[in-house]
Amino acid sequence: MNDPNKIDPAILKAWMANYICGVLGLDRAAFSTADRFDTYGLDSVEAVIMAGVMEEEFQVIVDPHRFFDTPSIDEFTAVFTAPAV
Amino acid sequence: MLPLSLIVIVFEMGRELPRTLLSLSPPYQDFDPGDYEIVVIDNGSRAPARQQDFAHLKANIRVLSCSTRSPSPVAAINEGLSLARGSLIGVWIDGARMASPGLLRACAQAAALHPRPVIATPNYQLGPDLQRISSAQGYDQAEEDALLASIGWPRDGYRLFDIATPEIRGGPFGAMLESNALFLPRALWDELGGYDEAFQEPGGGVANPDTLLRAVALPDTQLIRIFGEGTFHQIHGGLSTSTQERAIQMLKEASRTYLRLRGKPLVPVRARGWVYDSRTGMVTR
Repeated sequence: MNDPNKIDPAILKAWMANYICGVLGLDRAAFSTADRFDTYGLDSVEAVIMAGVMEEEFQVIVDPHRFFDTPSIDEFTAVFTAPAV
Repeated sequence: MLPLSLIVIVFEMGRELPRTLLSLSPPYQDFDPGDYEIVVIDNGSRAPARQQDFAHLKANIRVLSCSTRSPSPVAAINEGLSLARGSLIGVWIDGARMASPGLLRACAQAAALHPRPVIATPNYQLGPDLQRISSAQGYDQAEEDALLASIGWPRDGYRLFDIATPEIRGGPFGAMLESNALFLPRALWDELGGYDEAFQEPGGGVANPDTLLRAVALPDTQLIRIFGEGTFHQIHGGLSTSTQERAIQMLKEASRTYLRLRGKPLVPVRARGWVYDSRTGMVTR
């Protein structure tokens, strides 16, 4: 498994935006990464599935609870890729 | 050929199976016993289900043991599919699910609406919340027994709705990950190849969502959601309903397996499809 802070936040942000738009059928051009996950209609089951897909894609461990603690793409990527203190 | 077969998979469900089979029995369903069979496949319980225990139900029940050993129910389902004699077949991947009283009739009537129907019934869980959540707050088998007694079950089976929580969170026509009583004509099950035995995890992982997704993706099929009926999960320590942490871990791992097998992320079925309202007999297309 990789260290999350080795992931480029911009790449992760784009991946999550593309993933969510793909799954929910949203217009990527009108999509804001600052919006809360629940405003898109991403439910908790889909958030857990996204965590699994993200693990496969980036070879990192993703705790799905983090999506609830940091409930937007911007917040999540900032915290997830921050160097461990 | 019979009009209808039900395949019910059980594993260590000595408490739950009697209620499930009672809920599928002819008087409860008001369904002619000569028109359907119930094939129960025990998938390796220490004390396997026995046919003689259900003779009083006066139903056409066969209780069998799965011929292969696997923690996944998928092979057991496929064995059931190979044995089923009905032209319409409903699969209960989880034998801990009781049915509402008009479920069989609604599915049979919905099947007549289209030549290639995929009939999905909604999942509910008994108790005040999804069981992976309520179990952390003390909900257990004893509380569930008391809850069922409080509505006088099985006197009015529709009162199950009063003591249950829907699994679909976005309303009755919201995104549906799976249906635990999924009905397809025999020919469609054959075309689908049954359940995919690549799903070998305990509980089958996401074999059930995968089956629903593959079924609705078959050419010219029509998803028909049943409204006004459902299946109701009894708490029994199943993988996706026992604790929140276990359920999250199971789904996360299963979504990785799905991605590796299918090359795309697992997604719920968002299409509303047709809706068959069992209370009115009306269909919304």
